[in-house]
Parts: sequence; C-alpha cells; structure tokens
Amino acid sequence: MLLPRIFAPVRASIATSSTFIAPSTRVLDALRSANGSATPTVPTLSFVRHSAHQAQGRANGAKDGPGKRLGAKKSGGEFVIPGNIIFRQRGTAWFPGENCKFGRDHCVFATESGYVRYYRDPRKHPKRQYIGVALEKEHTLPYPPNAVRRRRLNMLAVPVTAPTSSSTPAADVIVADLPVDTAARADTPRESTRKSLTLTRGKGYAYREANWQIGRAAERANVQVKEFVPGDRWTAWRKSNARIEANVERKKLRNAGKKTAKPKARKQRN
Amino acid sequence: MVSVTLSIRQFSACLRCVQQVSGANVTPRRLLSSSTTAREDLQTQSSTPLPPPPSDPPTDSTQISAPQETPEYMQKWGTLDPQMVENKKQERRLLRREHLQPVGSRRRRAVLRRSTIQQATEVPFEQLPYQCFQEARRFLLEDRQEKLKEIETQQIRIKNLVEQDPAVSGGLLAKEARIRSMRKHLNELVILADINDPVVKRKFEDGQGDMNKPIYRYLADEKWRKYKRLVLEQRITQLDVVPDFLPTIDLVADIDLGFGRKPVAPGDFVDSAISEKMPRLNVQTFTPGEKLVTVVVVDGDVPVPETDSFTYRCHLIASNISISPTQTSIPLQRIAQEDQKIEDPAAKKISVPWIAPWAHKGAPYHRLAIFVLEQSEAKSLDIARLSKTKRNKFNLRSFVDSHKLNPITATLFRTKWDESMAGVMERAGFKDQINVELKRKRVEPLPHKRRIERMR
Repeated sequence: MLLPRIFAPVRASIATSSTFIAPSTRVLDALRSANGSATPTVPTLSFVRHSAHQAQGRANGAKDGPGKRLGAKKSGGEFVIPGNIIFRQRGTAWFPGENCKFGRDHCVFATESGYVRYYRDPRKHPKRQYIGVALEKEHTLPYPPNAVRRRRLNMLAVPVTAPTSSSTPAADVIVADLPVDTAARADTPRESTRKSLTLTRGKGYAYREANWQIGRAAERANVQVKEFVPGDRWTAWRKSNARIEANVERKKLRNAGKKTAKPKARKQRN
Repeated sequence: MVSVTLSIRQFSACLRCVQQVSGANVTPRRLLSSSTTAREDLQTQSSTPLPPPPSDPPTDSTQISAPQETPEYMQKWGTLDPQMVENKKQERRLLRREHLQPVGSRRRRAVLRRSTIQQATEVPFEQLPYQCFQEARRFLLEDRQEKLKEIETQQIRIKNLVEQDPAVSGGLLAKEARIRSMRKHLNELVILADINDPVVKRKFEDGQGDMNKPIYRYLADEKWRKYKRLVLEQRITQLDVVPDFLPTIDLVADIDLGFGRKPVAPGDFVDSAISEKMPRLNVQTFTPGEKLVTVVVVDGDVPVPETDSFTYRCHLIASNISISPTQTSIPLQRIAQEDQKIEDPAAKKISVPWIAPWAHKGAPYHRLAIFVLEQSEAKSLDIARLSKTKRNKFNLRSFVDSHKLNPITATLFRTKWDESMAGVMERAGFKDQINVELKRKRVEPLPHKRRIERMR
C-alpha cells in the first residue's frame, strides 16, 4: 500500500531522465530529494577503524615533569666569587670565557672574583656565546688579543711555618731489628704507631697518610731489594728457570685431582 | 754457517744501492751531476752574498789533538771510522775518543764495512745495471739541466732590469717590486735544481749538509717546520708567552735550550740548582748571512702581593752576539767568561748579568722566557746604555721598540720552589726571601651567603 506511493516520485524521475544509467550517488540524491527532508536517512557504519597508537597510560610519557631550574643564576654585571655558578644549562648554549669554567653538567662557574659578562668572541669562535668574569667593574670582555693577560695573584706573603732547612727525617727512620723489651714497647716499628705519623684529610672524609708517605713505607722499614743489573744474563736465566719450574709444579698440582687419560700403551711391532 | 753466507750475500746485493762518499781509501765522488765545480759555483753566485765557507775547525782539531791525548787503553781500540762503525760498542768508543757521531744507519755502515773487508768491486752510480733506475736518473738530469738554463736566463733578466731606467719600467717602486719577485723566483729555481739530487738528500739526512748552500738550508727549514716548530709554537702559545711578553712573534729560527749537557724541552721545569748557571743556546737560522742578536731572559711571573698581581724581572741581557747558518751556538757561559777578561766595558757582550731564577715557596710557577732578538741591520748596540736597564718591572715590549729589535725566535723553561731553591736564593743574595711563603688568600663569601650567628 505504501510502496506505490513512495516509489511514485521515483518512477516519475526515472521517467523524466532519458538515460537510465547514472552514478549511484546521483540515485541516492534523487531518492533523498524525492522523499523530502522530513525523514533523513541515517548512514550506518559498516566497519571500525582501530587506533594505531596507544592513547592512554604510559605510552606518551610524562610530558610535564618537575622543572630543572635551569638558566642564568647571575646576571651581567653581577659580582661573583670563585665557585659561584653563573649559568645552568643542558648542553652548551653558553661557553665559559675569561676566568670561568665548565662544571660537570655544563654549568658555567666563576674561577675568579669579578663581574659577570655575557659576550661573543668571534676570534675564538664565530658562533659561540661566552660567559666571562671581568676582574674590574669597568672592563669589557673579550680582552684585546695581543695585550698582557689580566690576572690576580690571590696569594699572601707569610713567614714560612715549618723551617725549610730541617730536611733530614731522622725521626722517621725505624730500625727494623729493634730489641723487644718493655721499655721500647711504645717504639714498635709498626707503621701506625709511628711518632712522625701525620694524618691529613684527603679528598674524602677519611684521615689518612698521604700517598707519597705510604709509598715510602718500604724505605722507612729499611727493606733491602736486590738491585736490578741490566744485562745480567746469569741472574735472569736463574730467575726464568725458577719460574718455569714453579709453573711446572703448579701445573702438576692443578692436574693432581683430575683423572688423566692414560697414554695408550703402544703395541710393539714385530 | 748457512745463515752467515746468506746475510753476506744480502749485504753485497744491498751494497749496490748504497754509495760510499768518503771511505778510507775511496776518493769522494759526485754522483748525479758530472760537473761539481760548476754547480757549486752556481750556488754561490746565485744566492745573495754568502760568508766564506767555514774551514771546519772542530773536526780538524780533534783529528790532530786526539792521538796525543788519548790514553793507552783508547789507542787499543784501533781505527774507528764514523762511516763504518757497526755495533753499539764501537759507536760509543767513536764518540768517546774521536767525539764524532756515526754517519747514517747502522745497516749502511755494516754494508760499507763488509764491502771494504771483502774488497768488493764497487759499481759506480752511473753504471748500475738497472734500466729503470738509469732512465729515472737521466730524466732527473735533464730536468736539472733545464733548471740551470732557466737560472741563467733569470740572472740575465735581473741584470738587465737592474740596469734599466726606472722611468721605462714604470716608476722606482714598481721596478723594485719586480726585481724582488724575480729574485724570489730565482731562489726557487736554485732550490728546484738540486731538490731531486739523491746525493743532496743523503747528505742532508746524514747531517753533513753545508748550511751555506741554499738547498740544505731549505731542507733543514722544511724539516724544522714539520715538527719542532709546531711543538715550540704550541708551548709558546699555551704558556701565554705571546700575549704576556710580546704581542706577537713569528718564529723563523730553530732554537735548542740546554743547561750544561742536559737539553731542556721548551716549557720544561728546570731544577733550581741546574738553572743557577747560564743556559746554552743553539740558534739555527735558515736565512743566509751573519746576524747580530741580543739574547734576553725574562721572568714573567714575579708575584707582587701588595698589588695582588704579577710583574716582570730581567735575568739576562747579552747583546752583539753574531750567529749565522753555520755558526749556531750561543754558549752564554763561555761568553760571560770571555767578558770578564775584557777590560773595555763597551766591548763586552753581557750588559745585564745572569741571576739565578728563583721562586718563593708556594708561589705559582715562574715562566722564564728566552728571546733571541735580531739587531736591525746588524748594528751593534751600546752596552753602556743597555746596562742601565732595570731588572725589576722590565718591559720587553718597550725594550724591543726602543732598541729596534726584531724577535726571531723564543723558548722558555719554568721554575718553582724545590729543595735546592733555598741555597740558590742564599747565593743569589735573596736570603731575606727564603723564609717568605705564599699562601692562598681566603675568599670572603658573598654577603647573603655568609653564615651568621642566628643560623648556627
């Protein structure tokens, strides 16, 4: 009942068009216009496009972490003392110029007290930008190329604390074969109980002897080492022989536990 | 036994490649060029006025005086020929008795020795039976003849140009510029004529080149620039000799520094006991002619705690020392001894005598720079005027300017406090400075970083 009424305009349109062969979209359009806009046809999706990239979770990484507080810590013209960090950075946007150095994370710090300058030095490098410390307030950086370097002594002249003349370490000498009795108990020739032992704080926290003092321990203990004579083939031969023999012994010991295949008894041919 | 014969055969085979220039019984032979005298004449002609060839006194004197002085055990060593010593022992003996260095490689010396022992017949260079080799020789000879011809024409051209009226050749300046460029080309040709000569190359490598001849000077200069000069230049720039003492320096002469027997590389730390005596210098120039030079030793790191800075101190000025490509040694110690004998103060050479380099305890190292300054037009300087130079706060820049000097080379060594420094300072007359020590100044923290009582 309904169908003939619906199809009536279609029939009419088909009748008007002389050529029936038309693109399919046109047919749909014609249908739509014929039906009127009162009942729009909803197109239904016949397939799903899946995501190719993870949208949630850790896939995209944390974009907004805590700030690293990079950038200039001292501005141009500010007074700094040695060790003051002037600029923190990732990579080398700024290079250390006069009286400055790189830290281990490329931060630029001052090695002299003075006034911070941000500058370029085309003679050194055409593209780099430098941070320097001018020693006086009115100085500009870079300093002229052929002029005498400006530098400070940063030292004081004081009277010598230890007299330089007493270079004989008589107190350090330890007799190796000391008679052991109760009186000399305190003077045992052990390194740790030495009288002249001076412990200083090294780079770390520990108080220890200096490396050069440790290195002299054998000398203090009066250890006699046989002197090496270049070209002494006799001693060299004896030593090498002893070494070879010792190696043979060691090899025997090493192989003692193992089962070794017996060498096959050869048949004596007639 | 087999190996021995084998090696001998190898030696004799090798012998043909190795030439003996002056053996014990072989006359010296010119190899590439047949006309020796012509070439040497040409070299002396073409180059700008040269000093007369040296008579080579040191070797003569040793040969004459050695047999008289040598002790008996040395005479037992027999004849030692620098061309033929073969093993280490003989080399050492040669150096001890004859004061001569062996020539060339040990392999070559061995070959020469074997061949003289076997009395092997020597095939001269020209008759070696290698066709390719002979072709190459002929080619080089042709090239050399070409170069000789070019040199002749160039000389004639220069002569004509010199005689020409400046108006014709486009003004005096243009004429001079042209003459200069032509002379330069002539010098290049002189070098090119000899540069492919195997004998020249070998003589240079053996250290027997005559530095009066342009080719050997050229080769020596090339060799120096390839390594030694680079090192020296690097030390001079890295240790800031260049902006601190002089604004710039162009190194044109080789310099060797040493104290007594010990050579010192540029920039080395020298023990104060060693540097108490004057150094000896060896300055090899590569340009012809004699030069008068002034040697200046300056300490560039004298601390001034009052002004918190550094200043300079002059340790030595020795002037009117003549050097040339063949006369390279500047034995300052001997010059000072000779000066003491001279009565006339104007004839002396050392105007500011040597003081030993010294450094305070704890002070940063002192750089002692040694400059060789060429005096302009080889004119001698006035010693009386020079001796008024102040040691302290010595400014080398103004010194060079006021005396019209031209730095040709420089080197340096360093000193710092060591065990022997106290004694050196006492002998040098700085006893009051021995017990002064330099210590680092405490750096005051910035005001907002200062820890105050409340914070503790």
